[in-house]
Amino acid sequence: MQTRTDSLSGTAAVEAVLSPPAGLLTEARGDHRPTPLWFDAARVPFGDRSLDLKFGPVRFRIDGLAPNQAADLAGRFRPFLDAGTGAQRVTVRLELAEIDHFLREPAAGTVENYRLEHRRDEKGLAIWSYEFAGRLDLATGRARLALVEGEGARFDRGLENFLRVLTASYILDGGGFLLHGAGVVRDGEAHIFFGPSGSGKTTVTDLSPHDVVLSDDLTLIVRTDRGYEAAGIPFGMAHHRVPGTTGSFPVAGFYKLVQAPQVRREPVPYSLAVAEVAACLPFVMQEGAQVVIALDNLARALTQIPVYRLEFRKDPSFWGAITRGH
Amino acid sequence: MQPDQEMMDLMAKPARNPNSAFRVYEEKAVIVLPERSETHLLNPIGSHIWDRMDGNRSLREICDSIVAEFDVPADRALADLLEFVATLKKKGLVI
Repeated sequence: MQTRTDSLSGTAAVEAVLSPPAGLLTEARGDHRPTPLWFDAARVPFGDRSLDLKFGPVRFRIDGLAPNQAADLAGRFRPFLDAGTGAQRVTVRLELAEIDHFLREPAAGTVENYRLEHRRDEKGLAIWSYEFAGRLDLATGRARLALVEGEGARFDRGLENFLRVLTASYILDGGGFLLHGAGVVRDGEAHIFFGPSGSGKTTVTDLSPHDVVLSDDLTLIVRTDRGYEAAGIPFGMAHHRVPGTTGSFPVAGFYKLVQAPQVRREPVPYSLAVAEVAACLPFVMQEGAQVVIALDNLARALTQIPVYRLEFRKDPSFWGAITRGH
Repeated sequence: MQPDQEMMDLMAKPARNPNSAFRVYEEKAVIVLPERSETHLLNPIGSHIWDRMDGNRSLREICDSIVAEFDVPADRALADLLEFVATLKKKGLVI
């Protein structure tokens, strides 16, 4: 009998807390984990400004912004501002956490995988990391997000990471998914390059200077009446670059990046393709209730979109393998 | 393995980790264990075993089903089954 187990490492080491602790905050090793009571407490918003954003089909209203925060975000996310008048899908109210940190940040000079923890209970889905703690009421689509600072890198990171998680969750409702992959549009079609950190996603976008880059890290895959389309989101790109388009483009293929001396494209068998791409779905694969939905969405998409293993070296020759088909 | 140890192992009824989620595509199981953020792919025989690890079937019953369905001698099936289950336990997929 040849029993084989292929282990595919996940894209992020996420520590999930499965049992809610008691009290307001529980502290362990310098970590402050917010409890349900902590989320229930009243907190002061930063201000009274709002901002509407739209990532693919997912729409957000950001409430509780101070004027400077609203102006800064409006400038940074300009292509993704939502002028639509329809009901907002998710409303996120920003508040000052009045705490220095939730999870303890790694000491200077040390490196650890970004830690993100969550808990699902009767009040909704709670998510926290170093600089933020948020809870989404799944019934109403309203969330409160507490941030340890009102500006600067920790504010940006906390807000963006919370929105990333919510985007990954809500995109599932329409049959799509958020992929840890770079999206590049050539000749009107989107090519999605995926793999763990260090596999070459940013390199591929750097080697495609005349193409439209949707993202070098996180790409939305949206199910539409026309088939599956790819779209960018306004964060997740190196150096905080924002994609220049909010458009979506038909997906021509997914490519698992493998750095090699030669350039070669080979089809990946269907079941292996599902496993390989599933290993690159961020956030939702750490949330038990969403895993099966994500797998179903992915499996359905891959009946229409081919997946390839792309061996490439650090020059643009991989585009030849893609367009030649071998 | 001692005979009594083997007997005990064969009476055991392994169960999939209830926190795991899986789907089967083309007879291959794609398994996700959220708490470890890992994705696993099993081949058709591994998937056959996985499907039967429901906490109600003993290892002996699972082994018998392998012999009935696949072209493999019983002693080889048993040895590989025990090794496979041990691997899944190490990975946290089976309790």
